[in-house]
Amino acid sequence: MAGKSEAVLVIGGGIAGIQAALDLGDMGIKVHLVEKKPAIGGRMAQLDKTFPTNDCSICILAPKLADCFRHPNIALHTLSEVKEVTGQIGDFLVRLRRNARFVDEEKCVNCGDCAAKCPVKVPDEFDMGLRRREAIYPYYLQGVPSVMAIDREHCLYLTRDVCRICERFCTREAIDFEQKDTDVMVNVGAIIIATGFDLYDPSGILQYGYKRYRNVITSLEYERLICASGPTGGHLVRPSDNKPAEKIAFVQCVGSRDFKNNRYCSSVCCMHATKEAMLAYEHDPRVKSYIFYMDLRAAGKGFQEYIARGERDYNISYIRGRAAKITEDHDENPIVWYEEAESSKTNKIAVELAVLATSLMPRSDAVDLSEILGVELDEYNFFKTDPLSPLDTTRPGIFACGCCREPTDIPESVAQASGAAARAAEAVSR
Amino acid sequence: MTREERFEPDIIGFLCNWCSYAGADLAGVSRFQYPPNVRIIRVMCSARVDPIIVLEAFTRGLDGVMVLGCHLGDCHYMTGNYYTETRIKTTREVLKDAGLSPERLLIDWVSAAEGERFAALVKEFTERVRKLGPLGDETDLELQQLRTRLIAAKATLAQERLRWLVGRERELVEHENVFGEKVSQEEFDQLMLQTIEKEFAKRRILLSMGEDALSVREIAQRVEASPGDVLRNMITLERDGFVSVVGIEGSSPMYRRAGR
Amino acid sequence: MKEVRVGVFICHCGTNIGGFLDVPGLVKYALNLPYVVFVQDNKYTCSESGLTEIKNAIAEERLNRVVVASCTPRTHEPLFKSTCKDAGLNPYLFQFVNIRDQCSWVHMQERERATEKAKALIGMGVARAALLEPLEETAVEVNPCALVLGGGITGMTCALSLANRGFDVKLVEKEDQMGGTLNRLYKLYPTGEEASKLVRAKIKEIEKNPKIEVFTTSEVEEVEGFVGNYDVTIRRGEKKRILSVGVIIVATGAETLKPVGMYGYDGENVITQLELEQMLKKGRISAESVVMIQCVGSRDEKRVYCSKVCCPTALKNAILIKEANQDAQVFVLYRDMVAQGTTYEDYYAEARETGITFVKYSPERQPVVQNRSVRVYDELLGEEIILPFDLVVLSPPMVARRDSANLAQKLKVPVDEYGFFLEAHVKLRPVDFATDGIYVCGCAHWPTNVSESVFQAYGAASRASIPMSVGHVKTEPSISVVDEDECSGCGLCEMTCPFNAIRVEETEKGRKAKVIAASCKGCGACGAGCPQQAITMRHFTDEQLLAQVIPLAEAI
Repeated sequence: MAGKSEAVLVIGGGIAGIQAALDLGDMGIKVHLVEKKPAIGGRMAQLDKTFPTNDCSICILAPKLADCFRHPNIALHTLSEVKEVTGQIGDFLVRLRRNARFVDEEKCVNCGDCAAKCPVKVPDEFDMGLRRREAIYPYYLQGVPSVMAIDREHCLYLTRDVCRICERFCTREAIDFEQKDTDVMVNVGAIIIATGFDLYDPSGILQYGYKRYRNVITSLEYERLICASGPTGGHLVRPSDNKPAEKIAFVQCVGSRDFKNNRYCSSVCCMHATKEAMLAYEHDPRVKSYIFYMDLRAAGKGFQEYIARGERDYNISYIRGRAAKITEDHDENPIVWYEEAESSKTNKIAVELAVLATSLMPRSDAVDLSEILGVELDEYNFFKTDPLSPLDTTRPGIFACGCCREPTDIPESVAQASGAAARAAEAVSR
Repeated sequence: MTREERFEPDIIGFLCNWCSYAGADLAGVSRFQYPPNVRIIRVMCSARVDPIIVLEAFTRGLDGVMVLGCHLGDCHYMTGNYYTETRIKTTREVLKDAGLSPERLLIDWVSAAEGERFAALVKEFTERVRKLGPLGDETDLELQQLRTRLIAAKATLAQERLRWLVGRERELVEHENVFGEKVSQEEFDQLMLQTIEKEFAKRRILLSMGEDALSVREIAQRVEASPGDVLRNMITLERDGFVSVVGIEGSSPMYRRAGR
Repeated sequence: MKEVRVGVFICHCGTNIGGFLDVPGLVKYALNLPYVVFVQDNKYTCSESGLTEIKNAIAEERLNRVVVASCTPRTHEPLFKSTCKDAGLNPYLFQFVNIRDQCSWVHMQERERATEKAKALIGMGVARAALLEPLEETAVEVNPCALVLGGGITGMTCALSLANRGFDVKLVEKEDQMGGTLNRLYKLYPTGEEASKLVRAKIKEIEKNPKIEVFTTSEVEEVEGFVGNYDVTIRRGEKKRILSVGVIIVATGAETLKPVGMYGYDGENVITQLELEQMLKKGRISAESVVMIQCVGSRDEKRVYCSKVCCPTALKNAILIKEANQDAQVFVLYRDMVAQGTTYEDYYAEARETGITFVKYSPERQPVVQNRSVRVYDELLGEEIILPFDLVVLSPPMVARRDSANLAQKLKVPVDEYGFFLEAHVKLRPVDFATDGIYVCGCAHWPTNVSESVFQAYGAASRASIPMSVGHVKTEPSISVVDEDECSGCGLCEMTCPFNAIRVEETEKGRKAKVIAASCKGCGACGAGCPQQAITMRHFTDEQLLAQVIPLAEAI
């Protein structure tokens, strides 16, 4: 046993993890913030604007990223994972795996000279594969820490022992191929899980044509397209011909409320589809959007007004009816076939772009992580919490917040994150 | 026109730390190029920009001024940019009264994610000011006259009554007063324009008087206004203590500035 | 004034600046500026060696102002400020000049003009630096005691969380017992736990906790002070008492709209879900045919919002009715079934499986409650149906408490158009108010269920514990300062400030504006609008700003 600790481990550097870490850090409690990716920011960094205020996501996130980075009480571990946890509340011993970045974080100034010379081009994960990046890259431009990382799966030197051009062109001598993955032991009194979500892969729903039809995309791909700092500079263009899309269909409940896939409701999609349609209209007032939904779930503060605005001012039609299938015509225009709920008649609309609101899901490694942490998952593999003690997992001293618990929006994730911080603070102050 | 002969506008931009300054930084990180005519001064909030400072910039000879803040509703300090909006709107009206093109003063909202947009904005504004020419080109005033107008404009924006009205726009238009009445935006705008016009006229009069004792007709000549209008303003100025009657010549009162 | 000695450090940033600007030219230019006694260029000013050179120069050259011309203050200013501090120089005597992100990187093809611009920027920076004043951060002590307004599940959860961490808590409850809305509920969804059991358990915890002092049958009379130092007067009957606390948490909950005049509401045959709860609690439900109507008085023109909890409540109560009487006919007339998340969708399925019938209606064709039956147009069937009933249960929305506007005024915090308390930022600060030291959680903030109220309660506890844990609130010195001789007490500043950080008070000189340093954010909105120009913004004074307004022709 390591001994009682008043530090807290936060797993996940998205908005929930960041908020929990900042609250704890501000309280004077030491935090280890562990993030798997090369930079913190999570899903929120991938969004353009957020409902119901439609304010710029990265603008409100960036100050928090900077605060985290500079905070005297927060130790930021990026490119890191939790490998082992032993002990109990008040006294956990955690083995963290710090994966090698191959770039010296102290020296790199993010100038980009290395990437300019790197010959490798691979699909960029942050931009949902809509753009290619080099093997040495910043996870995203405003990412924190503001340094490069080398993708060990595609770097020519790390896979085939050749190249090393980046090293030659770095004037700061920041490239370090000698770096090794290291294990670090930390002693904490409480753990907060804030690992966020993955999205349902709709290629499993053959009738929607995802991956077969180029102009059928997912909502996160759409977010990257419409984002000012995304792969097309915020120009909403069709993947097939780069022409602007003036008629857009948003298909809801893809992979959720579905007995074959996930029975639960993904909670936030009614709102984010509305937002996405609004953004398209803001970029181009010729845009007409159709949202195919089952039940409109807009119960948060200002949400109903938001939907009403969408209908009234942003040329959005809400059609109650689940989309049965999507086909396409010879111009690659998606055609959405749906059953009108009121009349039970089938109808179809031809659009220029179809956006699938794919369900929020637990992370693919949730099962592994739950085993490492010794906590239970619910039947969907979200981290299980008690509805009347909604931040506590099944193991004392380990708390969960945000979408790793259940699909939820940003305001709730933030409130939950602060809540988890309070619970963790209670745990370490016993 | 060759490159050497082309007029290069001299522009200062006041950018707020949280949004527009960050947007400008992003333009840099993304290497979006724009003309080097604008020099940026960082403020924490666009609401820091007192209209007097904007006028001082023009008085010193700047050809264009940009004031950029967060998008409405996104201000890091909650409501700051709403005040910026009213203040700069008012300043543009005062510039108009002074004979200058209000297009020399830009107010816009740039978020921290809008690097490309910032660069485009700067390009556009630079060209716009270039077309307007050096400060004062759009008037037919001589340098000294222009200076006087600008000083009067600055004094107008320093005027207590005007600043009070500017600061209360939001409250008056959005909330009711104690009698349960609301002021419509049109009514407010009209009131504002009238106030600006009145105050500017008064400032010009005061400036034109210098240390001299003058009759209404003499003052009217100096400011190129009708004696009737000038008289009305003199009465108000006297009531408010800015001028005093120091004598009578014939049947006209002689006024002098009261050194306030 | 003591002699101003400015040191200028110009960074090459590798080739990022050095490759596009004539740095030696900048050095030469800087040396000729007034007040500049030392100029150095560095490959990377932010490197260990660069920082050491700054520190050495401060000592050796007796610099009392430092200007660094390099990347952007948004990332690097804190680093250089602390470097100055390490060298014994007040960090507010540091000036940053952005010649990379806003110069070399954006004028890559115009070396000459970009260099001219950089010179002008450095000139501007030096001019401001010369006018900078040393400023000290001060701190205001925080009373480690929290006031929680409201003794419902939200208030109790929040109080316990804080007390468990060792803070003193004063819990003020309007009614004569704690429990709030849960006292009027029967079972909770989706677990089926009895509300009264949960309440009793929480009250027991509260009573056992020596750190929590409870004031029932008490209300807030007056609130004075600011973050860390609030004096709140509470009243119980005729007696008054002043509680001195550091932070205040609003957990006053909400009411339910009484649907007077809607759907024939009479409290007997046409009742609300809340009244149904009472009946179920007492075991007195003998209805054979129940029709529930959702969205009564909500999602309409007057109240646009959705009250979130009514659909799951209807599901719960419908299931309970069926459990009590398998043969009972239950119809739920709804517009959208709001059963979000992982648990409620299953709950909805469960309800359908027990034989509850769901009828979708649209707001254009509202159900009509007649003598013994409800007439409704079923949107999915496409025809009108008549449902006989012996009990109609309406789901009206949660509404803000009648006295919430009054409390908001006392606390000087805002409410939205529906009377619910308005947080600092809808997304990223959902439980904070813009005014420091006051927080909000639960239904006082927005209609919500027990789960969400509980994590908001913990959330508010976390936020409120921050100033209390630290023990003090640092006051940033770049705040507004009022010249009382110039101030006319007009109050425009107070109106302008969203943080309640400047207020007009009585002084010997009359009514004057006073700045609350602990709350002032230094934005400048008050100063730039003061009719008397009586406010100075420290570190961003008019002089410091105007010193930078140098026409290019003068600069180069």
